[in-house]
Order: sequence, then structure tokens, then C-alpha cells
Amino acid sequence: MGKDIFEILINGIKLVVIFLFMVQLVPILVWVERRGSAFIQNRFGPNRVGPLGLMQLLADAVKFLTKEDFLPGRAIKFLFYAAPVFALIPGAVAYCAIPMSVPFSIEAFQMFGQNWGPYLIRIQGYDIGVGIVFILGVSSLAAYTILMAGWGSGNKFSLMGAMRASAQIISYELALGLSIVGIILMYGTFNLSEMIHHQEGLLKFNFLGLGVDASLIPGPFKYLFPNWGIFYQPLAFILFFAATFAESNRLPFDLAEGEAELVAGFHTEYGGFKMLMFFIGEYAHMMIAAGLCTTFFFGGYLIPFWSVAEAQAFMLDLLSSPTLAGIMVSLIFFISYLLKFLFFLWVFVWVRWTLPRFRYDQLMDLGWKTMLPWALANTMITAFVIYITA
Amino acid sequence: MGADAFLFWFLAFVVVAAGLSVVLVKNPIYSALSLAMTMVGVSALFVTLGAYFIAGVQVIVYAGAVMVLFVMVLMLFDLKAETQAFSRGKITGGIKIATVGLLLGMVITTIISAGGILSEPPAQEVAQLPADSSKALGVLLFTKHIFGFEALGVLLLVIAIGTVALARSKGGTHAEH
Repeated sequence: MGKDIFEILINGIKLVVIFLFMVQLVPILVWVERRGSAFIQNRFGPNRVGPLGLMQLLADAVKFLTKEDFLPGRAIKFLFYAAPVFALIPGAVAYCAIPMSVPFSIEAFQMFGQNWGPYLIRIQGYDIGVGIVFILGVSSLAAYTILMAGWGSGNKFSLMGAMRASAQIISYELALGLSIVGIILMYGTFNLSEMIHHQEGLLKFNFLGLGVDASLIPGPFKYLFPNWGIFYQPLAFILFFAATFAESNRLPFDLAEGEAELVAGFHTEYGGFKMLMFFIGEYAHMMIAAGLCTTFFFGGYLIPFWSVAEAQAFMLDLLSSPTLAGIMVSLIFFISYLLKFLFFLWVFVWVRWTLPRFRYDQLMDLGWKTMLPWALANTMITAFVIYITA
Repeated sequence: MGADAFLFWFLAFVVVAAGLSVVLVKNPIYSALSLAMTMVGVSALFVTLGAYFIAGVQVIVYAGAVMVLFVMVLMLFDLKAETQAFSRGKITGGIKIATVGLLLGMVITTIISAGGILSEPPAQEVAQLPADSSKALGVLLFTKHIFGFEALGVLLLVIAIGTVALARSKGGTHAEH
């Protein structure tokens, strides 16, 4: 929480800001999704309301809010209304644990005749020691919201969609969890900030007398080889990224919706703002996936050609106040994080409009017979390599 | 009452209330959802004890995987027939109540005879808690408790194979009714 009222206040504000950041990103992502799909399929997409169709989001929000609220005749009222509210919680709670920039410190100062500080402010909702275990645990609770929606609607299409979704989430959770064991073994920590810290600098390792040092490459090309996780665990990256598509119920794994067979899957009976809340939940899972991919495999908020120490020295030179310099450094690295993060969100949209949907047996085969064995093999090989080099 | 004490009593209330509703609620779906709530509450209690890794694993394994499967299977049942099957018959009903009574008696006897569970732990044991408890847990599991750990693994494997064998012995999904 914090050691005094100022720190508690800042931590509270941080949680609200991160939640608003996630919720406000959703309409923009919907716009990107619709314009992007149009771009991919050689159409125009929404381009009538406002510049580039951006005001369409506002019109949609108003439409969603003013739609009639209805309850299907055979629905279970409590579950039907509780499901969309619960859909927001796991995504929002899990995303808050992802570090988004370098922490900055506020020096001791005087206010209201009292001494305050010094404080260290982290650019994340809360720093949990076992970050990744926490995120996996909380986001796995999302299956309940889908089951509640499917069962509570009192509709067989909804129930079928919910069954498919939860079976798929449980199956792919195994591959997802195992694919990052290699990363955890390599960095020797569950803490996301420490993982990012390990990825600083340029590619440099020693394996059985074979030394690789990217800083020896002349010219600016050496910055193409930062010390990021992707160079150590490429297979884990592919498995992890594919499994996150299944976890967030996106194409090519969106059998839960399967509009050709199931009308719209678990949210068949939902309309208006309740439907939008499921939407926000789905996008929140995409954001967690994008944030984790950035953190594990692409150095989090780090910039390859500008280390944190260099940036801090530069800003201290430029600005007189160390607090202000710290905030500027945090801002710069936040932009770096945001660029990588938005790129991965774009990949989610890109894949959705490129690949067709899997058949159900293909989905299960891929999860259990392909991804799980590969993830296991990756874990064992990583453990073996760590054992012989250590 | 400090923040820690408030958190403990709040979580304890949530866990006990959810646990009670598992057995008191009539609809099995709500029972299963309450059980999931209990798991999440217990995991939060682990967090207040500083056992973050166990808390995370508790949520991932029990709330996130096992209970989701339970809820999923329950939703496929004809629940009215299941309720009748459970509440039918006077003799079997008596046996059920007697079994529950026996279990309750066992639990109460254990709590009374153990005595030490509810008292304050000695101060030095608390101080020995390592900062990185997940590492300490791993070392303990693979050294001191290696036999139990491996035996549980074998047991789970037996259960998995047994389930598949049982399901297939009656024709599996292609059985004729």
C-alpha cells in the first residue's frame, strides 16, 4: 500500500490511471481492428464520422449505452448480469502487475509543514514478487465469466460456446505455462522487473567455450542484437504467442464464437453495454498477452541503443531537478514500452484478419499433440543447457 | 485493529461463507462456483502469510483449472435428475447424514486434541521465514519431501490412466444407451 498517506494516494491514483488506460485503449483498438480489417481486405471501413472515422467510436459508445436492456426468458438473472461485470476483473487486475517503465524516485520535500519522502514510484499497478505466477493465476479465472455467461443465458448456443471456450482455455493454459518455464529457468526469477533488468545491454553469452558478443560488431548494426529473450528462447516465443491467441479467444482460435455454427457463442444473448464489457475483457487479455510478450522476449521497456543509466545521466545534465529528470526518463522508457506493446496488439489484429478459423479437433490436436510436447522439450533442453553451462 | 488483522478477518469471513454455501446451496452450479470462491479466498490468505508462490499455484491449479472443469461438467448434467438422485430414499439418506456426522466428529476431535493449532506460534519460527519462499519451497520439495512428491506424481498418473480406462471400458463416447 505505502508507508504514508502520500504514497497510498499515489498508488491509488496509479491503479485508476492504469484501468482507464486499458479501458480507453479499447475503442481505439476497435477502430484499428475495423480500419485494419478493411485495409487488409481492400475495403474502406468506417470513414464517415469525423476524421478517418475516429468519431465512429463515440457514436458506437452512445449506441451501446442507449440500447434496450433485456433479459432472455429462460436466463438466470444473477449469473446473466454478473458475468459481464466479472469479465472486466481478471484482465484489469492481471495487467496492473506488468511493469511499464523505469521506476522514478521523488526526493524528500516539505508540504503542509511536514517532511515527506523520499519515495520510489513504480510505473505499474503493484509490484508482486511472483509476478508471472500471479498474472497466470488471475487471468485463468476468466474462464468462469464465460461459463457464467453461457449457463446464465439459458440458451444452448451460448452453453456450447462456453463449453468450447473453457475447454480451449484449460488446454492451452498448459502449453502457455510450460512455454515460459524456459524463460523463468533462464532468468531465475518470477519477478517481471528483474527479468527486464536481465535483458539490458547487447547480446552476450558464453556456451561451451563459444563466446558471442554483439558489442564487437562494428557500426550501428550491433544494436540489432540486444540482449533480449527472443534470441535465447525463440521456440518459447512462438508457443507463448500462439497460446495467448487461444487464451484470449481470438481468431484463429475463436471457436467459442464460431458464428457459422453457434450464432455468436457465449454472448449470443448479450447486447448493448453488457456485450461491450465482454469486448473490453477480451481486449484486456490481448493487452496482457502483448505486455507479457514485450516483457519476456523483447526487453520490456528497454531501448537497445540507450541504457537506463545513460538516459538518467543525460536527463540529469539537461534538467536541474533530479525528480523531474527521473520522471522524464520514465516517460521516455514508457514510450519505448508503448511502441512494442502497440506493435503486438497490431499483430493480434493482423492475424485475426489473415488466418481462417481452426476446426475443433484441429484445435485440440494442436494444443495437446503439438504445442505441449514442444513446450516440454523446450523446458528440458533449457534446463539441460543451464545445467551444463552453470 | 490493524490492516493485517482486518484483512485476515475479512478473508476468513469470505472463505467460511463461501465454504458454507458450497454445502448449503441447492443448485450444484452455485456450489461449484462457491467452491471456486473458497479457493481464491484461501489463496488470498496464503498471500497474507507471505507464501506468494503457493498462493499463485493455488489459483492456477484449483480455481483456474480443476474447478473450471467441475463447473463445465456440471453444466452438461440434467440437474433435476441429479438432485432427485441425491435426496431420494430414507435409508440412504440416514447413511449420508451419519457419514457427515462421523466426519464432523473426526474434525472436531482433531482440533480439540491437537490444541496447539489455535495458539500463537513461537516468535523465532516467524523470524526464520526466508525472504524468497518459492526457492526455499523448491529446495524442500526436492530434498526432504522428495518421496511424497514423487509418490503424488505417480498417484496422479494412475488416476489419469484409470479414468481413461474406465471411460473406455463402457464404449466411451460411442456407447449405446
